[in-house]
Amino acid sequence: MRALYCFLFSLLTSICGYAADIDACPDFTRVDPQGAIVGADMQNAAPCAALYDSKGVIRLRGARGGYVSFHLVAKVPEGGRYSVQVRWKQSDIALETDLFREWFHFISRSRRFCPDALVPVHMPYRSVLPEPDNKVDKQTAQSFWVDIYIPPNITPGVYSGEAVMEAAGKRFVKPIALEALAAVIPSQESVTVDHNCYGTAFLAQQYPELRRKLGDSFFASKEFFGLIHAYHRIFYEHLGTFHQLGYGHGGKVGPEFAPALTGSGRMKRIADWDLYDKHYGPLLDGTAFSATRRGPRPIPYVYLPINPEWPASFLWWGEPGYETEFVNVVRQMEEHFRSKGWTHTVFEMFFNHKKRYKAFPWDGDEVKFSKDNRYFLEYGRLLQKALPPDSPVKFRFRSDSSWTMQEQFRVLAGVVNFWVLGNSEFSWYKYAPQMLKSRGDIVFVYGGTPTIEENSGAITFAPFQSWIWGIDGYVRWLTTSPGPDPWFHSDGGGVTLVYPGERFGIEAPMPSIRLKLQRNCVQDLTLLESLKGSKPTDFFRNEAARRYNASTMDDWWPPKPAVADLPGEELTNTLIEENSQPLRRLAEKVNSRSWLNVRGWILEMASEAK
Amino acid sequence: MRRFVFLASLLMWVVVAGCPAMDQPGVSKAEMSRQLEDIARVASVMVDGDVCKRIMTKRALEFIAKSDPRDPALAGDNFDVNDEPYIQTKKTLIRLSRLATFPCDVNLWMPIEGMPGKIQVLIRNVHEISRFWRWGALIQDMPPEMKIVLETGKRLTATDKPAWVAVLAPVYDSLGDVVALVEVVGQEKLDAQENVK
Repeated sequence: MRALYCFLFSLLTSICGYAADIDACPDFTRVDPQGAIVGADMQNAAPCAALYDSKGVIRLRGARGGYVSFHLVAKVPEGGRYSVQVRWKQSDIALETDLFREWFHFISRSRRFCPDALVPVHMPYRSVLPEPDNKVDKQTAQSFWVDIYIPPNITPGVYSGEAVMEAAGKRFVKPIALEALAAVIPSQESVTVDHNCYGTAFLAQQYPELRRKLGDSFFASKEFFGLIHAYHRIFYEHLGTFHQLGYGHGGKVGPEFAPALTGSGRMKRIADWDLYDKHYGPLLDGTAFSATRRGPRPIPYVYLPINPEWPASFLWWGEPGYETEFVNVVRQMEEHFRSKGWTHTVFEMFFNHKKRYKAFPWDGDEVKFSKDNRYFLEYGRLLQKALPPDSPVKFRFRSDSSWTMQEQFRVLAGVVNFWVLGNSEFSWYKYAPQMLKSRGDIVFVYGGTPTIEENSGAITFAPFQSWIWGIDGYVRWLTTSPGPDPWFHSDGGGVTLVYPGERFGIEAPMPSIRLKLQRNCVQDLTLLESLKGSKPTDFFRNEAARRYNASTMDDWWPPKPAVADLPGEELTNTLIEENSQPLRRLAEKVNSRSWLNVRGWILEMASEAK
Repeated sequence: MRRFVFLASLLMWVVVAGCPAMDQPGVSKAEMSRQLEDIARVASVMVDGDVCKRIMTKRALEFIAKSDPRDPALAGDNFDVNDEPYIQTKKTLIRLSRLATFPCDVNLWMPIEGMPGKIQVLIRNVHEISRFWRWGALIQDMPPEMKIVLETGKRLTATDKPAWVAVLAPVYDSLGDVVALVEVVGQEKLDAQENVK
């Protein structure tokens, strides 16, 4: 009887044009809730068919020690129950597969749905369409992000598996053949994408249940520090790093960001390391990352809580007490870090305050008025005085500069040795990377993050630009702020790359498609860097640029405009914008195919490498 | 004489309290109001209005009213102060705040020449608390309470916001004109994470 029903149902669905199916699309080709390529990715998009060979097998290729990713799309036009999974032959189970359901965000601005947040799910994933929680009217397709991790010690060769969907009593199978290349991606990424944020108040806002449960003890609880570590972990797992600034523009320091102080003047000292060590201990010794695929490793960079009000009170500025308080406390910090063996991380003395926030008479961040440089010189002197010359602890003086970077390179040479530079202005100074790197400085540029609505390739621009420029990396200035309702009224996600998992029963951040795409880009660049061998770097840069957006190296370093030599006081954002057109045009030439072109070339070289 | 006794009692607080810790449980709102009002009265004497008038640079004052749809940050980017009067005044405000036995900020507010109805906070302090500042605002509409203080020269205590006490007190220049005001402010319970950004 049941067989008869199945037969009749099959007959009915075939007559009615029932077209349930499972499909796979390249990682840079996102689909919407109806299974069509999203509008932003349409231009020059790699079709889903590009993943298949002539026999309908999904062909994947990647180097060891890295990820191969694609979108798996369950299409069930009639709706109803379905399940999906990816599985490997018994002999090929060394491959590690993660499945994420792609959340379709309703973008308030464009009134369209676009996927971004990735909800981790177990396989087989069983649900119904439309997905009840996503509430997309007329949803007929659900896309999944598939991450396949190829362990570095796996035997090179072709591994076989399949993607399987069951819906309406039918089984849909797509065979998968994954080629694990002999090449191994180095464990140290070639460029660092830094993900910045401010304070910890956002954690209480984004994890209201946990906040409610823990009450007043939230900000000192192990769950709170666990959450902070989870944010570090997610960015580390995606080949990036994470920064949390721990003080405000007026010098208020969050207690979890600094050791507690006591006394005043010559009696000022550190009284308690408890919260600081709970926060930073596992990050600075690397144990916070023990359970990750990349393994334990100390974080590469961390902000210090130093600001004009900490550790010395601004009340004593210009008096002997300021120097005494500063030097004594910073000296204690150095001793503590040294005794703990925290010698792998760069500790950054960084001033984020701006005059416009009305607490100090000079700009620490983005100096516009040359006179403010004298404060930097003074803090450089204080830091030098506080630290033993042979300290193994890596203290650096970081400056985030834009208006006056050219002048600061000169005036603050030997004082500031960690630069985070405005992206547009930096493109005016072709000589800068070589000059700064040759004197041992760390060099990043900073900027924003492409929104969900931009094409999928846009997220690769920043890491690629950093690599092309030969600098250390890129700072995304804010990456943990998904807005008040990212799920049903998204603001576009321009200041987030992760989402709070609490809605899904996960007290940790969840990744996004953009974060995954960025990781894949960084891993490809890292592989490329390892393939350079004896060939000149410029050869690789030229070839990569050509494939990426048909650019040349000259395009990445446009002629220096006259405004580049103006004093900071005379520069305006309008002038900067008008003189940043070449860089903007380069970004506009990036589409959802751009990175696939580069990756194909890199993997081809990797497959030929001995 | 009365002033001397009052100052002596304030000094006693400092001796007893040393540098106030972040949290001083047990300070009632009434006691908080009393201390803040006392500090505000002293502030009117100690804060020098002529020095305050020299804080903003002429250039920044020209920019503060400018707006450009292509460059919304124009006024903020060009905000600038003269270091010496700024630091002198800020130090006075810090000293005043230390008279309280609980975390307290003394913020300086000034009207803006040529912009009636507008006011700006010009100096904030380390606890980053203000009953009136809209976070990040360069200038803002003048709250009615501030208008009263500037017009009448009378102190005013605002307790309308639960758990907050803010005392506004006039700042005079050498001509006897009210040219600014201080906001002496405390919170019953400080939020340690607020404004850490």
